[in-house]
Amino acid sequence: MLFNIISISLGAILINNFIFSQFLGCCPFLGCSNKTDTAFGMGVAVIFVIGMASAICWLIDTYILVPLGLAFLETLAFILIIAALVQLVEMFLKKSVPALYSALGIYLPLITTNCAVLGVVLLNVQNHYNFIESVVYGITGGIGFLLAIVLFASVRERVEFSEYPECFEGFPICLVSAALVALAFMGFSGMKVF
Amino acid sequence: MKKILKLTVVLFLICAVVAAVLGEVNAVTIGPITAREREKTEKAYKAVLPEGESFTEVDPSAYAAFRSTIDKISAADNGAGHVVETTFSGAQGSITMAVGVDGDGRCAGISIIKHSETSGLGEVAASASSRGVSFRESFVGKDESISIQDIDAITGATITSSAVVGAVATAIEAVKALG
Amino acid sequence: MNIKSQFKEGLITNNPVLVQQIGMCATMAITTSLFNGLGMGLSVLIILTCCNVVVSLIRRIIPEEIRLAIFVVVIAGFVTIVDLLLQAFIPALSEALGVFIPLIVVNCIIIGRAEAFCQKNTVGASFFDGIFQGLGYTLVLLAMSIVRELLGKGTFGGGLIDVSEGFRFTMDGSGAGIKIFSGEYGAKVLTMPFGGFLTLGVLIALMQYALKKSAKKKELAAKEKEVEE
Repeated sequence: MLFNIISISLGAILINNFIFSQFLGCCPFLGCSNKTDTAFGMGVAVIFVIGMASAICWLIDTYILVPLGLAFLETLAFILIIAALVQLVEMFLKKSVPALYSALGIYLPLITTNCAVLGVVLLNVQNHYNFIESVVYGITGGIGFLLAIVLFASVRERVEFSEYPECFEGFPICLVSAALVALAFMGFSGMKVF
Repeated sequence: MKKILKLTVVLFLICAVVAAVLGEVNAVTIGPITAREREKTEKAYKAVLPEGESFTEVDPSAYAAFRSTIDKISAADNGAGHVVETTFSGAQGSITMAVGVDGDGRCAGISIIKHSETSGLGEVAASASSRGVSFRESFVGKDESISIQDIDAITGATITSSAVVGAVATAIEAVKALG
Repeated sequence: MNIKSQFKEGLITNNPVLVQQIGMCATMAITTSLFNGLGMGLSVLIILTCCNVVVSLIRRIIPEEIRLAIFVVVIAGFVTIVDLLLQAFIPALSEALGVFIPLIVVNCIIIGRAEAFCQKNTVGASFFDGIFQGLGYTLVLLAMSIVRELLGKGTFGGGLIDVSEGFRFTMDGSGAGIKIFSGEYGAKVLTMPFGGFLTLGVLIALMQYALKKSAKKKELAAKEKEVEE
């Protein structure tokens, strides 16, 4: 069990990093990575939502959808749960933890359309993870996202000051730098737990 | 308050309509999907237990002691033996494998369904070694006392090889325990 | 809004991936063979067109406050339908695209078009918008797949075309494609995530270059006209 959890975590954070090897969550990754602070805020918000979403969706899938034979409604149910969850988290933070809300607030609505969140929940079902494995996969996947986005934000801050062809202005240069970071992450493939 | 109620009703109605439509589509597609899945498992099972025809799942309570590693045991309807689906830890992650066990409690064949080991391992497991038998073939005819010396371990993947050996032994034990 | 200008917008001047820069995840993830690229493109095209029509049909009766939730439900419905149909009738494609089919739900292209276009336009215009935006998306996927497959594996049309026994199309994704050069000389790294980011980056850069050039040309022509006058 412990072995499984370690291997899931290591896989989600480094070997199968959501962004650099599975392309989950690229939109917010490219959109929110121009400053390290913003990137960190977004990353933390994602970990938070992803962890809760994997727990709740697992429970709903295992105890409601599957027993009722409604597995074909999974996608619909999950996206609604995620949207509702994001709303709830936003309202809760606004009322009881205003400090955290002012830090994460603006990123929360964006997370609904973050394909990493829906992706994790669907992968949990596909890989037949149990409750603990699902939550661990969600949270560590979020940590992988945080790692990737913060690393990349620091790369981008430097790219700002360098020269590149005019037509690469904006998104293209971002993608090319992301490609180089992805190349670095490829070094983790083939890593062993032992 | 009234407004919230109205919004909830509208949203609920739309969800209901979508769910109903999906139910209809599901009713049409469920047949082909299950048929295809069944065909796929039958084919995978036949690969590890060539004499078996049409498989039926065994009641999980019959092998309760082995539930930690064994996912599923299916018996061949013509009594040729059993096929065991097992998930266990390899060197880098979990490996899912089907093991065919014939009527005498000997391994009839193995097939790796899913693994997260170094890519290309599957092909190596299937290709022939220096002695002319492949890693997979070298399991055929072995019983639960199998050890790593009995098979042609994959060069450079000793941990994976011994994990597979252990899983095959457990699978045979589980089938014997069925009685 | 006429059809011709919509066509140009969807394919070039307002291309969803190259210009609006949305829907990137799947674009980079699955474009490793022509079969995957075409399958994904067509799936999005169908879902986008259906969603556009439905959203524009119900645009007058849905309350403003919950329109996004309703859009999401409609989109998730169509995505699930396509997902189930693919699983039942084209399983090879469903297996190759995996989790990226259900993930079309959160593809910003579809919700973006619903919000920006179909809410305000007629059913007919929304229908053509869906088709042309979907075509624009498919074209980008095809371009990426062709480049990555050719340079990465040395083949063309992998999964879709089989030439071992004469030229034929394979609908089950089993064809090996037309061999242009031996796979040993292919830059395998292009079929990996690195290649996804790089190819898309270069493609967008080319598009920006072309758009800028044509804008400059127009500007120049306008200036010349002014001088003449």
